[in-house]
Amino acid sequence: MSAGAVVGVVGNDVPRQLPLAAAVLPVRLTGSWDGPVDAQAQELLGAADLETVRILTELRAGAAPVDGLIVCNDSQAHLRLFYVLRATAPRMPLHLLDLPREDSAPARDFARGRLRSLLEFCEEVSGRAADAASLAEAAEAERALGAQLDRLRAARRADPPSSTGTAAIGAWLQAVRLPPAEAAAVVAAACVSAEQDAASTSALRVHLTGSNHPDASVYRELEAHGLVIVSEDHDTGDGAWIGAAASGDADQVVDELVTAHFARVGGSATALSAQRADRTVQMAREAGAEVVGAFIRELDDAPRWDLADQSRALETIGLRLHARVGVAVDARTAAAELAAALRGGHDR
Amino acid sequence: MSSARDHRLRSAVAATAYQKEWFADLRRQAAAGAPIALANADAPLELLRAMGIPYVVNQWWASIIAAKRLDEPSLAAVAERGLPDDSRQYDVLPLGAQDLPAGRAPWGGLPEPSFAIAERSGDVTHKIFEQWGRRPGTETFLLSRTGAVPAPEGWWDLVPHEWESVFGADRIDLLQGEIELLIAWLAERTGTDLDRQELARVMARANEQAEWNRRTRDLIAAARPLPVAVTDSIPSVMVPQWHRGTQWAVDAAHALHDEVAERIAGGIGVWPDEKRRLMWIGRGLWTDLDMYRSFQEEFSAVFVWSMYLALGADGYLRYGDDPVRALAARFVGLTDLLYVPPMSSSWYVKEALAHGVDGVVHLVADDTPGSGLITTALEDAGIPVLDIRASNADARSTGDVRRRIAEFIRTRVPARS
Repeated sequence: MSAGAVVGVVGNDVPRQLPLAAAVLPVRLTGSWDGPVDAQAQELLGAADLETVRILTELRAGAAPVDGLIVCNDSQAHLRLFYVLRATAPRMPLHLLDLPREDSAPARDFARGRLRSLLEFCEEVSGRAADAASLAEAAEAERALGAQLDRLRAARRADPPSSTGTAAIGAWLQAVRLPPAEAAAVVAAACVSAEQDAASTSALRVHLTGSNHPDASVYRELEAHGLVIVSEDHDTGDGAWIGAAASGDADQVVDELVTAHFARVGGSATALSAQRADRTVQMAREAGAEVVGAFIRELDDAPRWDLADQSRALETIGLRLHARVGVAVDARTAAAELAAALRGGHDR
Repeated sequence: MSSARDHRLRSAVAATAYQKEWFADLRRQAAAGAPIALANADAPLELLRAMGIPYVVNQWWASIIAAKRLDEPSLAAVAERGLPDDSRQYDVLPLGAQDLPAGRAPWGGLPEPSFAIAERSGDVTHKIFEQWGRRPGTETFLLSRTGAVPAPEGWWDLVPHEWESVFGADRIDLLQGEIELLIAWLAERTGTDLDRQELARVMARANEQAEWNRRTRDLIAAARPLPVAVTDSIPSVMVPQWHRGTQWAVDAAHALHDEVAERIAGGIGVWPDEKRRLMWIGRGLWTDLDMYRSFQEEFSAVFVWSMYLALGADGYLRYGDDPVRALAARFVGLTDLLYVPPMSSSWYVKEALAHGVDGVVHLVADDTPGSGLITTALEDAGIPVLDIRASNADARSTGDVRRRIAEFIRTRVPARS
């Protein structure tokens, strides 16, 4: 299962087993909190989440050398990015992965077609066809990675936690860019290193929701203020779709992955607010969080619509939600403000 | 040369009067216990028509709320629910307006709908309609919204008959399947099955209406000076559009065509000495409709184009033997025609050239993709463009629009000799 090609992935809908089986390494592109923003990228995307503008900036600058690009239709910003790239980079092999959100017979038919088309795209890019053996090999590798990620989750949920959120988000972000075996090693190392600088028992246990995190800097800032992030439900952390795998021939694998797709709660831009609130409550409870923080970028509108539901649902289990919305250029200062709000009333 | 300044289009007056009558009747039906629907403009409205379910279009109702200057209190009501009041204002105004005090809502207020139906466009529409579904007596049905693959240029010549290739058969399959689910969902709740022959008749009338809109658009594009103000053509087209599939709507579209032809034959112009022809891209500025006429005296500048007639002309025609599939093809990519390049950009350039446009005002809402590429395409065609980033339904964001347009005309749109 050696990767013959590298394909960038924007968004969180790609089941990695399929590109891996076609000898393609899927490398998730997430941008950054404070990287440069190209004025033309901004102009082309219009009023879009800065995370996506930074991804386009990197692509236009050639900072993300890839053989092709898969863009998921999992947010308005990502869909815009696809449209912009289609119009401005006609030579780049480009694919839109467009999965419906509500389970139904026609939605499953469509999703099956989209995953088959994804596999074909990867085969075209790599020049290598997936077969039963490569699908099985990719499944095994992804499952092994999934097992390591379960270990990391458990380490974070321990009381006291034996892993910091900063180490965990760093591991997640690396894992979505590496081949499964290397990713599993990174995650395993993160568990060990996290144990070595185990979070203080006095740190306030926080569940984090809201926008996804393109890098670990905001986590680092939050945890510098006496917090430990024990779980999150955004899609570059524990909400990342990674480690999923299915068995059988290509049709069976696609069928199972479609089922897995509809079983998960997607990011805020694709899910109902009630679903997001349920997910937040479930994860915060399982992780033993003492308080919940929402950190939301400017123009990432969807998470703001979930706040009211999340707040009400968390109240039912005795947890408060503190939100910092409209985060633009100075994410670290905003993180420090959120940390102060989260600690308010929880001083030890 | 006569001026149309002091004479509203008869079609506009008739359409507005009809709409008020219709809404009062809808309120009576709701009061008598009939289930009504609130539906987004991109939902398959013809289905509701064929099943005899009265419906109100979310965007139309938002335009009424904004025009009555009830946008601010409606958005305040949204904020009171803990929801953002500065996100997707156009789509959320009706939700907020439901909480206005009795007697303050426009036209007596929207009766509580039994059904709220929308497609999952963007990041938030499904969440707004989720909120509708929590109101007592209201249930929500959501349809998928797929990305625009393919997105061919020149679609306007293809969509009436070759819509399978324009939008892609798999996308149409999905929406057709979901419309079938919606049919069953509605039938279960109303006890009425869909009469597919009736749907075919509704679709045929909708096509006939669109054909009249095409003829009218072509007349206006070729006429000099502009015979009809956009503030008149918008209600003349859009009220019948919301009644698409009825004989009244066909007749209204026909009457509009004849009235426009009559004006052209009579030499009537909105501003006989027109020296600058402007195009308005984007949603209507409902909070300040007088704006569209406000550059005539100083600049002899007239707005000759808005998307409402043009989309009515090019966007809706779908011929086909299976009315449900044709209906799916009508809506599967309707909004993409307006916003997704190159479908959108090539169309705006085509329309600008056909109408002899000298300058474009491009209202860019936060939720509309592809605006930069649309602007670039027009500029590349030699047509100056002013981009204004604002919500058409939120007066807080459009305060300086007139000043900016005046400056744009002064500096970038030279007068014709």
